[in-house]
Amino acid sequence: MGVIKKFSGNPCRNDGIGLSLKALTAAALILPGLFHPAAQAAEDDEVDFQYSHYQEGKRDILESETTRKNNANPIEVESIHGGAKISLTDRIKFAFNYTQDTWGGATPIDSGPFVAGANGAIKTIGIEEIDSIGAASPLISHRVFFDKNLTPYKQILKDGQFIHVPDKRIVHTLAIASPETRKQGDFKLGYEWDNAAIDIGGGISLEDDYESRFGNLNGRLDFNEKQTTVNLGLSYTNSDIDAILDHDIGSYGNESNFNQYIQVIDEETNTKKIIGNRQDWGANLGLTQVLNKSASLNAGMSYTRSTGMLENPYKRVEYFFIDPDQTPNSEGLLQGGSNAYIEQRPHERNQWNWNLGYSQYVQPLDAALHVNYQFFHDDWGINAHTFEGDWVQPLGAGWTVTPRIRYYSQEAADFYQPYFFSFNKRPSQRDEFDPALLQQNYSSDQRLSGFGTLSGGVTVAKQFAKGLSLEAGFEYYTHQGGLKIGGGGEQDFADFDYWTANAALKINLAALGRGASGSDGGNFHNHHTSHANAPAGVMVAHTLDKAGDIMLGYRYMWNNQDGNMLHQDSAVSLANLQNKGCFSGQGHFNTCLAAPKSMAMHMHMLDLMVAPTDWLTLMLMSQFVNMDMSLRGTPAFTGGGNLAHHIANGHETGGIGDTGMYGLFKLWDNPSHKVNLGLGFSAPTGDVDIQLRRAHHQDGGFVHYNMQLGSGTWDFKPSLTYTGKADKFSWGAQVSGTKRMESRNKSGFALGDMFQGTAWGGYDLTNWLSASVRGVYTWQGRTKGEYPRNKIDFVPTPETEACPNESFIIDDGNGNISFDQAGFNQCIVEIRNANKEGLKSAIYTDDAAYRSNPADLASNSGGQYVDLGLGLNVNIPDGAFAGNRLAFEWLQPVYTRQTGYQLDRDGALSFTWSYGF
Amino acid sequence: MSLNELTIKILLTTTVIWLIACTPVQPWERGNFAKPQMALDPYPLQSALRAHNYGSREAAAGGNAAQGGGCGCY
Repeated sequence: MGVIKKFSGNPCRNDGIGLSLKALTAAALILPGLFHPAAQAAEDDEVDFQYSHYQEGKRDILESETTRKNNANPIEVESIHGGAKISLTDRIKFAFNYTQDTWGGATPIDSGPFVAGANGAIKTIGIEEIDSIGAASPLISHRVFFDKNLTPYKQILKDGQFIHVPDKRIVHTLAIASPETRKQGDFKLGYEWDNAAIDIGGGISLEDDYESRFGNLNGRLDFNEKQTTVNLGLSYTNSDIDAILDHDIGSYGNESNFNQYIQVIDEETNTKKIIGNRQDWGANLGLTQVLNKSASLNAGMSYTRSTGMLENPYKRVEYFFIDPDQTPNSEGLLQGGSNAYIEQRPHERNQWNWNLGYSQYVQPLDAALHVNYQFFHDDWGINAHTFEGDWVQPLGAGWTVTPRIRYYSQEAADFYQPYFFSFNKRPSQRDEFDPALLQQNYSSDQRLSGFGTLSGGVTVAKQFAKGLSLEAGFEYYTHQGGLKIGGGGEQDFADFDYWTANAALKINLAALGRGASGSDGGNFHNHHTSHANAPAGVMVAHTLDKAGDIMLGYRYMWNNQDGNMLHQDSAVSLANLQNKGCFSGQGHFNTCLAAPKSMAMHMHMLDLMVAPTDWLTLMLMSQFVNMDMSLRGTPAFTGGGNLAHHIANGHETGGIGDTGMYGLFKLWDNPSHKVNLGLGFSAPTGDVDIQLRRAHHQDGGFVHYNMQLGSGTWDFKPSLTYTGKADKFSWGAQVSGTKRMESRNKSGFALGDMFQGTAWGGYDLTNWLSASVRGVYTWQGRTKGEYPRNKIDFVPTPETEACPNESFIIDDGNGNISFDQAGFNQCIVEIRNANKEGLKSAIYTDDAAYRSNPADLASNSGGQYVDLGLGLNVNIPDGAFAGNRLAFEWLQPVYTRQTGYQLDRDGALSFTWSYGF
Repeated sequence: MSLNELTIKILLTTTVIWLIACTPVQPWERGNFAKPQMALDPYPLQSALRAHNYGSREAAAGGNAAQGGGCGCY
């Protein structure tokens, strides 16, 4: 740690401290966090992994009063993080992180009066009352009555007369997002002096519609005998927005206020993109002060300046136009017609933050209290306060429990309203945008409204011997307009809550090293260099040496498919494919309109091996997977509709995969030859019911079979492995298989069984580097069963579908909109009579049939494959990273024979890192 | 009170607290600070995650704009 060196650099106090005292105080000078906030890498070298899950609660769209149910799952996010902090030398520190989030679900895109019928939610004619008009739009209808105070009114039928009564309620309009994945990589490189440190960092965050690059520079200066630390940081972020406009909303909204940023990327399908850029500059200054033996204070301030496109390109605003020349109705009410515009924010934002924190060590309980207050101010009119506190309580035996609480309150931005008014004649949807009709900036994003939040949670941490620690955390968060300081927050329509849970594994490399030189002595590294030289792509190839051994491993596999569509082992043109590739049996013969263009699968696996006895090794393997597919149209695809949306966007999925549990038995074990038998099971922890979002009023249906996150079935996974070693040569062979133990999963299908045979040879190039060559044969069976097919429910004809409101809207083309109430009422009466007589409509849920992409058909799955693998293995025999093992392997397809019509294969990369204790 | 005034006041207050509170604490008296529970941020991994959640749900971004975090467009 070089801590004594650091200390001796202090000119004021060094003279009074003897060498023995230095040694005594060395432990006390390891001050994690406190004196190293600039360079996070400054603590012990560490590798960490974290998984987290975010689940939002359902939004209240007043479902009980509407005909359309809010069945969509709210926003759900699955994240993983992996990182390492490494000391390159005593003074040079390096840290890197990788983070990946996959999110999807229902989220608000705008808000408006409930009586305007957002979410297509209408109550059709009733005996007692009729709500005002809804439309099939995901947004809201064109006409609402308002009084002079702009209170919305709903229409009810009373004593045979239509009258209007006030209804101030507001609802969100929800839109559903198909799963999307964000990936972020960042690094930090730091240099430390005795009383100062500097570090430089940077990174990139990638999403389909948003790409962000950032850099930062931080400095730290300790003085006053390290009782005072000053930090200074500068940062810059440059982000590109590249958002495809939602087809569903496009046809109802008005995007002309964003024309300068919109590019039409496909004339035929009228697919449009918003292209923009934003930049953020930040500076922060912090001070940490030791107050006494048990307390410290930290204070900081920061300034951030943001410029460019600061809008969220998916958020809309409902603008009600009230024509001042109209004649009020008999009740004195005025009609307002709405247009939905993309929100408009200022293109500049200056933000200031001040924070003050205090940490107190509580001697009797050996605990620590941390409290923090933060004040935020910006030139959009938002002031916000944050109060946080936590109590870190060690419980002994390495356990620590930390409860925490947080309260946050913010004022609304100057230009926030749940919906807006313009006292002008309503321009038609086709009209060009006239800025004079609207205010300069407008947003209904609830994040800019006035509200408060309260959250609380607990973290439980356990420190194991040998530098391993586990953390698990849970937090519940509630957002409520009523929690705002001083009142006046947004109405309760915007309230929501979420919970998050996370688990992290941290490996302190320095502690591992210390453990090695202590109890295990010299034989520490030997047990997994002798026989663990199998190529990276071979799983469960080796066992642990002796009872009590533990090994932790991380494995990454990337599998890419690209190129031609194949039928068996020959390429097939898209023209041929469209006629033959989408045969779904049982009399359905569909034309393929789309086909996969590329498909990538990424698997992150964390495995823990323990040996309870010398002859048995147990292994637990958890997986996080994510996949993405890009699509192309066949010649039969003529553009437009639901499919255009999918082809333009591609598909992504991600989250927890299946979990493997293995027992590995040593059958033969001598220095030259080893044989092990693996008996394993895979538990169906990965989702198999992921669906695509609705687009153009069609359900997207289940995503392609091979893009679900798991098999959905319990699987049996046996293997038999032989490895040999003589001098610098090593070799091995393995046969392995997967047998599905259920005939179908909850979504109606079971992936095919699998058999694999492989053999390899390796050579030690040096004492730490070896190379391998491998041949692999794989047989993959066809998927059995399929997604639900032609499920028909006979139900009374829904009034909303039989009498859609838009069929009764009369638009004279001059912006005058009226509603044919008599015709609408007549239609409803007829449908009611028909329903009373028992006439029913068939509702089809046809997921398996009528699919127009070969990847959606179970018959197009499985095949036989031959691959050639080239690998490199690195075993670090000594030094600071002794005991670490890294392996890489590239698998190059040599022969591919696909069952049915499938995409060609491009290759696969495996990377493993493992560490034995 | 303008922003500049507020900044100056906060800086002054902080400096005063710092000067008053500055009873010298000798290095061998700082054992409490070496305890993991007294780290300014005992759980930096979780803190980053929570900051990302708050940042995509609240207007006050916390002054760490250049740590990445993506669009948060939900």
